[in-house]
Amino acid sequence: MKNVLTVVAATLALNVMATDVPVQGNVQMRCLITTDIPGVYGNPTPHTLSTAVASGGVLPVVRYDITLADSYKAKITTPTSFSSSPALIDTVTWTGSTAVAQTSDAGMSGYEAAKVTYDATTEYDLTVAGSTWFSATLSATNGYDKAFPGGVYSAVLVAECIAK
Amino acid sequence: MNNRGVTILICTAVFIAGLILTVDAKAHEMTPTYPKFESSFVSGVMKTKMRLFNRRNDVKYYEIGVFDSEWKPVPFVTSYKLLQMDYLETVSFDLYINTKDLSNSTYICSKSKLIKSDVISTGIASRICSKIK
Repeated sequence: MKNVLTVVAATLALNVMATDVPVQGNVQMRCLITTDIPGVYGNPTPHTLSTAVASGGVLPVVRYDITLADSYKAKITTPTSFSSSPALIDTVTWTGSTAVAQTSDAGMSGYEAAKVTYDATTEYDLTVAGSTWFSATLSATNGYDKAFPGGVYSAVLVAECIAK
Repeated sequence: MNNRGVTILICTAVFIAGLILTVDAKAHEMTPTYPKFESSFVSGVMKTKMRLFNRRNDVKYYEIGVFDSEWKPVPFVTSYKLLQMDYLETVSFDLYINTKDLSNSTYICSKSKLIKSDVISTGIASRICSKIK
């Protein structure tokens, strides 16, 4: 009986069919802009708003994911006006700077040195596929050291990904 | 460092890792990068299909624009120039350009439109541009 069961089991084992289940994926070349941290203005002095951590602010962080090397440019433009604020009677002085905060590939180490800055815009040539995080330090200073009136202030940073 | 110190360190690391993984990502995506135009059903008008994906829960509208190499606007037609999109929604749209304008067209862009009242402190507007080659 034991031998019969062995033969049956062996026969069944021979009939087992192995089937390959194909799993396919398609990585399309693309650029993805992710707003990791929107950023917050700190108010270190009555006439200054700044996203610098030392000023009590939070740096906005934008991540660019690209799947094709040397096909895109990142352009980040810091704000030069408030999108909403209380009425201001003095001129506001704006400063902004953008820097590479983190990279997913060692080949991106040269991005910061190769960046091009003009007006309020900084351009990076994304020559390596992968993810790059950019942070921006923004500040607004009210004219003649006058305190900003109380209220809610907001400004918009523009992150662009341009195909080359 | 004693065992208790190591345990606290590991728990802290796991907590921070969990926190990072649960952060809500907000992304904007447009494909293809290099769109190809084909003849449309109207003579003298070329068309291409673009795809937009909204993973920004803070954005409901995207503006479409076509520009030349100097970033001057080029006339084009889509069903809507301002697309309303829900969070995680994908929209495919046809974009039509006159054959005579196509040679001047370089970029097809989508730009997120932020609602003024939704911007708290600093907001981030995203713009992605595909290139017509």
